[in-house]
Amino acid sequence: MATPKTPMRPMFWLIAGSLCIVFAAAFAQVAAGSYEMTYGQALASLTDPKVWSQPAALLRLLFGERLAEVCGLRETEPLATMTLIVWNVRLPRVLVGLMVGINLACAGSIFQAITRNELASPYLLGVSSGAGLAILLVLVVYPVLGPHLPLIAMLGGGAAFLLVYFIAWHHGTSPVRLVLAGVIVAAIAGSLQTAIFFLAKDINIMQNALAWTTGSLTGAGWEQVRMIAPWTVICAVLSLSGARHLDVLLLGDPTARALGMPVERARFLLAVTAIMASASSVAVAGLVGFVGLIVPHVVRNLVGSAHHRLLLGCMFAGPALLVSADAGARLAFRPVQVPVGIVTGVLGGVFFLYLMRRRREIGKL
Amino acid sequence: MNPPSLSSTGLVGEHLCVRYHPRQPFVLDDVSLHIPPGKITAFIGPNGSGKSTLLKTLARQLPPEKGRVLLDGQNITALTPRKLAQRLGILFQENIAPADLTVEGLAYHGRYPHRRLFEALTPEDRNAVEEALRLAGITPLRQRKLSHLSSGQKQLAWIAMLLAQEPHYLFLDEPTTFLDLSHQFDVMDCLCRLNRQLGKTLVLVVHDLNLAARYADHILALRDGRIAAAGSPADVLTLDTLRRVFDVETRIVCDEEHHLRFCMPVGKTSSTSEAAS
Repeated sequence: MATPKTPMRPMFWLIAGSLCIVFAAAFAQVAAGSYEMTYGQALASLTDPKVWSQPAALLRLLFGERLAEVCGLRETEPLATMTLIVWNVRLPRVLVGLMVGINLACAGSIFQAITRNELASPYLLGVSSGAGLAILLVLVVYPVLGPHLPLIAMLGGGAAFLLVYFIAWHHGTSPVRLVLAGVIVAAIAGSLQTAIFFLAKDINIMQNALAWTTGSLTGAGWEQVRMIAPWTVICAVLSLSGARHLDVLLLGDPTARALGMPVERARFLLAVTAIMASASSVAVAGLVGFVGLIVPHVVRNLVGSAHHRLLLGCMFAGPALLVSADAGARLAFRPVQVPVGIVTGVLGGVFFLYLMRRRREIGKL
Repeated sequence: MNPPSLSSTGLVGEHLCVRYHPRQPFVLDDVSLHIPPGKITAFIGPNGSGKSTLLKTLARQLPPEKGRVLLDGQNITALTPRKLAQRLGILFQENIAPADLTVEGLAYHGRYPHRRLFEALTPEDRNAVEEALRLAGITPLRQRKLSHLSSGQKQLAWIAMLLAQEPHYLFLDEPTTFLDLSHQFDVMDCLCRLNRQLGKTLVLVVHDLNLAARYADHILALRDGRIAAAGSPADVLTLDTLRRVFDVETRIVCDEEHHLRFCMPVGKTSSTSEAAS
C-alpha cells in the first residue's frame, strides 16, 4: 500500500544499480563473441545510421522478413556484416534475456503473494516443469505447432499449477504442502521430459531439447523477441495493476474477503498472470531456475513487501540478474557456451542457502 | 465518517442453520435474531456455542445452509462483496500482516472497498485514514511497523483499518482477549466512543461477562448453537440465565456509585449443588 512518506532511497539505488548492470552486461554481450570486434566497432554498429535512418530497415529487423513482406515494407540498402551480427544475433539475445528476467521475477513475486509462501516460485510450484513438458512434447512429437509455443507452455504450466493446488489442498493450503506438491509434480514432469528424449529420432532435435531443459538463450533471435514481448507487456501491466490486491491478499483470505475482495476470483486472475509470464519465458528460454525465487527475495529485503514497489524493483533486478548471468554463461568459458540456467542455478542455489542460514524465519511471509 | 443512515433498521438473521460439514451436527441451529441499530450488542456463551460462527454468518463470511440475513431490510447475498464491505466491516480474532507493514499502510488497506480497479488515492481516502487513526488514538504511531507494536497497539491499528473502511456496522471477534487490563480499556473505550459519538452499530463476541455488562446495550447468550437468552444486560446477566448458559453459579454485585454490574463466578453448578446438599 502506498504510504506517502516511504523513503524512495533504496528503490532509487536498486533501479540505478540494476540499470548499470544491465547496460554493462548488454554491451559486453554485444561486443564480445566469436566474431571479434572492438567496443568502438560495437558501439558504431549499434548506432549504425543505416539502421536508424531507415525506418523500413529497423522494422524489418523487428518484424522479421515475412511480416515485413506482408506489410509491404520496401527493400533497403544492405547492412554491413558487423551491423548484421550485432543487430540480428547479439542484440535480440540481450532483449530476450531482459524480458525473461522481468517475467520470471514478477511471476515469482505474484506466486509468493497468492500462496503467502516465501518459497513459492514458478519452478517450485511445478509451473515451469509443466510448461517445459508441454513444450518438449511439441518440439519432439508435434513440431508443426512451433509458432504457438507460448500458448502451449501456458496450457502446460496452468495444468501443472492446478494439479499442484489439487494435491496440496486440504482445508486450504499450507506453505509446506504447496511446496511439497510442487516438488512432486516437478519431479513427475521432469521424468516425463527425460522420457521424451528417447522418442526423439533426430540427434539435432535431442541436442536442442537438452539445451532447452537447462535453460538457454543460445540462438535466441528476433523471433523469440516477438514471441515473448507481447506477454511481457501484458503481464507487466496486469501485475502492476494487481499490486494493491496482492497487498490485501497478504492480510489473509478472511480479511481480504471482509474488505470486499472476491478472493478466489482475484487469486485465479493473478495466478493466470503469473502463469502467462513464466510460461512465455519458458517458451523462449527453457527452464531457467531460481530467478523467480531469488529476485523477489532480494528486492523485498531492499524495498519492502508493498507490491507496487516490489514488482517495480523486480522489473529492474530480474533483467540485471538474467542478462549478466547470460553474459557470464556465454563469455566465461569461451569458446564453449554454458546454458544460462546453469549459472542462475548455481548462483541462486548458493544465495538461497545463505539466505536460509541467515534468516531463520524463512518460509513464512 | 458517515452519519448513521436514517433507514437503518438493524441486522436481522432469520432461521440460520450453519454447519461446517454435511455429516456434522449444526453449529447454529435455527437461530433468529435482531441486532438493533446504533447499539452495542455482545454475544456471550461458552466455547463452541457458536458465537464466532454466528458473527461470521451475519457478515457473510460463512454461507448459511438455511435462513437468510437482512441488512437494513436487504438480503446480504444480493450485495456485491464491495458494497457489503462499505457497510459492514469485520475484524477477526487473529490477524496476519507482512512484518514491514506500517500502521498507516494497514489503515490504507481499509480503503480497499472504496477504490475502483485502477483508481489512485483520493482526498476522501486520505481524510478517512486520518480520521480512522485519530479515532483509534494511534496517529503518533502511524509510521511504526506492526511488528514493532505491543499487542494492544496492534489491535488498535487493526481497528483503525476497520474504521478507514467506514462501515456503519462494525463486527469484532473477541477484540480484547489477548490484551492486558489497561489495553482492554483502551480498545473498549475506543469502541464505545464510536458508538456513542458516531452512532455506529457494534457487534462484539466477548468472553468476559463484566466487559459485556459494562459496555453492551444488548446481550445475546448462546448455548449449543441456539439463543438461550437475549435482552439488556440486566435481563440476561441473571443467576438463572448464567446457570443455564455456562453451568456456573455466580454472584451478581451492583456498584451503585458507577452504575456497574459485576458477575462473579463462584463455581460449577453441579459441584456447588453437591456441596450444598
